Amino acid sequence: MKNLMRYLGMRLLLTIPMLLILLTVVFIVMRVIPGDPVSAMLGDHAPVKFVAEKKHELGLDKPIWEQYIDYLAQLSRFDLGRSMILQEAVTAPILEKLPATIELTLTGLLVALGIGIPLGAWAAKNRRSVGDFTARLYGNIVYCIPFFWMGLILQMIFGVAFDWLPIAGRVGSRVMSSDFDQTGFYLVDTLLKADLKAFTDVAIHLILPALTLGITLSGIFLRLTRANMLDSLKSDFVLAARARGLPEGKVVYGHALGNAFVPVLTMLGLQFAVLLSGAILTETTFSWPGMGRLLLERIYLRDYPTVQGIIVIFALFVSVISLLVDIIHALIDPRVKY
Amino acid sequence: MKNTRVSQLPPSPGGLLNRALHAFSTAGKTYGAEWYILLVGLFIVVFMIFMTAFPWLFTSFNPSDQDAGPQLAAPGGIHLMGTDNLGRDIWARMVWGAQTILGVAFAAALISSLIGIPLGLLSGFVGGPLDRVLSLTMDSVYSFPGLILAIAFAAMMGPGVVNITLAVAVIYIPTYYRLVRGQTISIREELYVEAAQVLGAKRWTILGRYIFPNVIATTVVVFSVNIADAIMTEAALSYIGLGLPAGMPDWGMDLSMGKKFLPSGSWWLITFPGMMIMTLALGFTLLGEGLAEILNPKLLER
Amino acid sequence: MKKIAAILLAALLPLAAFAAPSTLVYGTTEKLTDLDTGSSWDFHTWEFFQNISEGLMTYTPGTTNLVPGLAEKLTANAKGDEYTVVLRKGLKFSNGDVLDANVMKWSIDRVVALKGDPESLISSYVDNVTVKDAQTLVFKLKLPAGYFPALLATPPYFPTNPKVYPADKLVHDPTELTGGAYVGVGAYKLVSYKRDQEAVFEKNPNFHGEAGKVDRVTIRYYADSTTLRLALDKGEIDLAYKSLNPADIVDEQKNAKVNTIKLDGAQIRYLAFENSQSVFKDKNLRLALAYLVNRQELLQKVYLGQNKPLYSMIPNGMWGQDTGPYKALGDAQVGKADALLKAAGFTAAKPFAFDLWYTTSHYGDAEVNQAEVLKAQLEKSTLIKVTLKSAEWATYKTQWKNKQMAVYLLGWYPDYIDPDDYTAVFARTEDSVGMGINYSSKEMDALFAKEGAASDIAVRTAAFKQIQALWAKENPTIPLWQGDLYVFTQKNVGGVKIGPTLIFNYNQLTIK
Repeated sequence: MKNLMRYLGMRLLLTIPMLLILLTVVFIVMRVIPGDPVSAMLGDHAPVKFVAEKKHELGLDKPIWEQYIDYLAQLSRFDLGRSMILQEAVTAPILEKLPATIELTLTGLLVALGIGIPLGAWAAKNRRSVGDFTARLYGNIVYCIPFFWMGLILQMIFGVAFDWLPIAGRVGSRVMSSDFDQTGFYLVDTLLKADLKAFTDVAIHLILPALTLGITLSGIFLRLTRANMLDSLKSDFVLAARARGLPEGKVVYGHALGNAFVPVLTMLGLQFAVLLSGAILTETTFSWPGMGRLLLERIYLRDYPTVQGIIVIFALFVSVISLLVDIIHALIDPRVKY
Repeated sequence: MKNTRVSQLPPSPGGLLNRALHAFSTAGKTYGAEWYILLVGLFIVVFMIFMTAFPWLFTSFNPSDQDAGPQLAAPGGIHLMGTDNLGRDIWARMVWGAQTILGVAFAAALISSLIGIPLGLLSGFVGGPLDRVLSLTMDSVYSFPGLILAIAFAAMMGPGVVNITLAVAVIYIPTYYRLVRGQTISIREELYVEAAQVLGAKRWTILGRYIFPNVIATTVVVFSVNIADAIMTEAALSYIGLGLPAGMPDWGMDLSMGKKFLPSGSWWLITFPGMMIMTLALGFTLLGEGLAEILNPKLLER
Repeated sequence: MKKIAAILLAALLPLAAFAAPSTLVYGTTEKLTDLDTGSSWDFHTWEFFQNISEGLMTYTPGTTNLVPGLAEKLTANAKGDEYTVVLRKGLKFSNGDVLDANVMKWSIDRVVALKGDPESLISSYVDNVTVKDAQTLVFKLKLPAGYFPALLATPPYFPTNPKVYPADKLVHDPTELTGGAYVGVGAYKLVSYKRDQEAVFEKNPNFHGEAGKVDRVTIRYYADSTTLRLALDKGEIDLAYKSLNPADIVDEQKNAKVNTIKLDGAQIRYLAFENSQSVFKDKNLRLALAYLVNRQELLQKVYLGQNKPLYSMIPNGMWGQDTGPYKALGDAQVGKADALLKAAGFTAAKPFAFDLWYTTSHYGDAEVNQAEVLKAQLEKSTLIKVTLKSAEWATYKTQWKNKQMAVYLLGWYPDYIDPDDYTAVFARTEDSVGMGINYSSKEMDALFAKEGAASDIAVRTAAFKQIQALWAKENPTIPLWQGDLYVFTQKNVGGVKIGPTLIFNYNQLTIK
């Protein structure tokens, strides 16, 4: 137990420099722009004195080292600054749109796992069969489909050709999200309000975007599961299970899959980055009011503080997820020594 | 000891070329799925490269010619893939657009590798605090969603071929670094390297004779998959409008322009650019994975 | 007892049905910028203000008749540089707060003090505002301006509630206001607002004018035109206005389930030149481009034939327009353009090379197509080589301020309905700096002075005729086309009265 604590403690400690590096990278990237961000943002009626005032307000007239220290100090206070274009704190739109992205990402992940893992396990069991080959081909092809194209094709088929599913937004036009919005997670909110009609509406709107994310990512999980299952099926404990006379189904889908699951979990952590990228593209295609669309909107508006704030949030996310995955991995994988 | 000649050092277990030729000649006997996968990938890649190099052999239309045909003509007849809303032939835009996307992807992958590989070699070989700091930095960047970084970069630097290429290149440096560093470290531990060191081989010799050639094999595989990834990233950047300025045909931008015409029934505007992106990325992926499967067993046999 | 209660309930039920408020859902891809008359200068936000607030002067819905709004009476002095406004008696905000001359002065002074973009609509014309008594205001103008009453109908001159708005800063969202909601004097109240999602309006019982017929108007914001079109098709919205893609407009016009209302937009699109120091300071080169543009083809390619070609900076439908001079130039006159270019020393080997700029975000995503088509048209002359360049709106504005773009695509919505607002703003020396056009001509300035000072429409028309003739020779800008606007409604919607002023009064809407 003490060893576990020490391992966890060290892992936690490692997060700090990693996060710091990421934040530094964000800082550098945001200042790569040639020219002056304030002039780029302000309009025609920007007298020189006004520009100078704004620059001072943003701290852009200080030397770069000072700006960096200020940046870090601000972040440690959980202050992301204020938007340059709109009169609001950077955290305001982020808090508003974050649940939308999380809801989409989680649902997409569930779809990806729901398709990828069973198919991967099945493919491993039926190795070298036509089914296996098809599954592997599927895995390869699907990863090469751009998220936005997958989204457009799904829209084309299910939204336009067959008018079965909605292709944009989180709720339909006649549903007022303000009626149930509490946490921002509409699936939860509608259930809390016991509004079945709204829940159905929200769920239906999630289908195509989640499929877009999920199908494209399922390929990776399929291949991973398959590869790990192949190892797992050859292992001793599976042999022992068979020898004990356990039914084949239980051996494969119970023991072997359980064992293969651990590396998949690890991969989940790494694939989270791909998931986030995919979420941005999916949000663009489905007009999903989440962080991805917010990022692009604010980029067009040249609202640098908000753009920086959004990327910082992403960096935080990635660090936290990576930490969580490592912790869970350490807890459940007997092979990890601590 | 100083005068130890290179020829007296233990032999390196088979160079890349030897292994590749050997693999090809036995592939016929293998006839595994991996071989076919590789072939398909190779075919696609070669076809696309051909198309990039000699576009005029594939189409007689100018991709920017707005009078190539009627606006929004459906596929068929002389317009294999139909025409877009400005009357431009879509197949021509696909053919000539290959240069854009492949050019950027290839250049980005090249730049990434030229930076990532030496850094990885250095880091893995030298070790120490340099290695720890660099490793941590690269791991952090690697864990971050590449597309978001590319978006931020592209947004800050503005449109332009060079900027987009750099934006895409930056996010793959850690990939090469990690791979090469890992390989370098494991090769460094090998017996024949130790033997060479004992015999007095200089550091550069060891790097050049043992480590580099063995590392290159896997790097080629990663390079291919990397190009596939870079293709997807470039397409994504174009799709969201952070790509190249108008003027060169661009598959991602055609997709984003074309989706406006979906509800009114002009499905060909988005179907073909998407298919091209997918096919091109798939080609490089299959090629890379196929190579990996074939070269991998050989690597492990050492 | 129970029986009586049951009967009462049964009797009341149909009443309940009657009590259900009528709702109209209006879908758009527009966005609200800042809910503050001191900073917003865009079409959609002004539409908000035109419904939740009102000006001293206003227009009869659907027409260009300027009539008193909040004002009872408006009189000008002999010289035309002083306007006295008498407010109606008993004006109240929707929550009962009193609206008097002091509030009006406070509102107008606030806009000027906060120095947002729209303050120029006040400070360019108004020297000061004084309160004579609780009902009377006096505007002292810097120069006589016959069109000042039209200016009073614009949102910067609208009243702002001092109990709700801060005096010292610009407001973005209604949540920043005291009380968390906007309080105004218009036909409707803004009941709720969720940025980029929806805005809900309900009738204002304190409105002095014509009450709305629809109890509740909801604006649904859509992220793109495609989803707006689909929402219309599925019946999720009752009305769609601004903007649908050209291909979708073609489809909806043919759609039997939907009413099409086509309006002559007031928006014009044109090519702007940097006239003072760029390669285009030579007016013959500008003229060459004027010869080469092909308006009909441009509209056919980019907008599938929608919108109207424009042969003058003054739009179709406005008095004073004279399309003669530009029509005389013609479209796609490659020969005439070549002659000018050759004379300037360009050859096929050494063509006239320049960058044509367009902006990606501000005018919608068809803009890149417009730039591509123009490039092809200009390059029909072998003596020209065009490179397309783009920038987002904020950068675009900075670049024209810094004279970094030689020729660029621009658009214009009028602030007030007068030919002056389509000409002087671009070509009068002091105003020309604003859009980066930097054109200066004594002849042009003299003509502007003439039309500005006159109040006789015949004199002004004659001056504008001369201005337009000179424009076709000098080409500080080249007019390209004028936008059509389409409103699509379900069959049960009526009362869409949008006239040349493009003011959309929700209180005219009906829904069955």
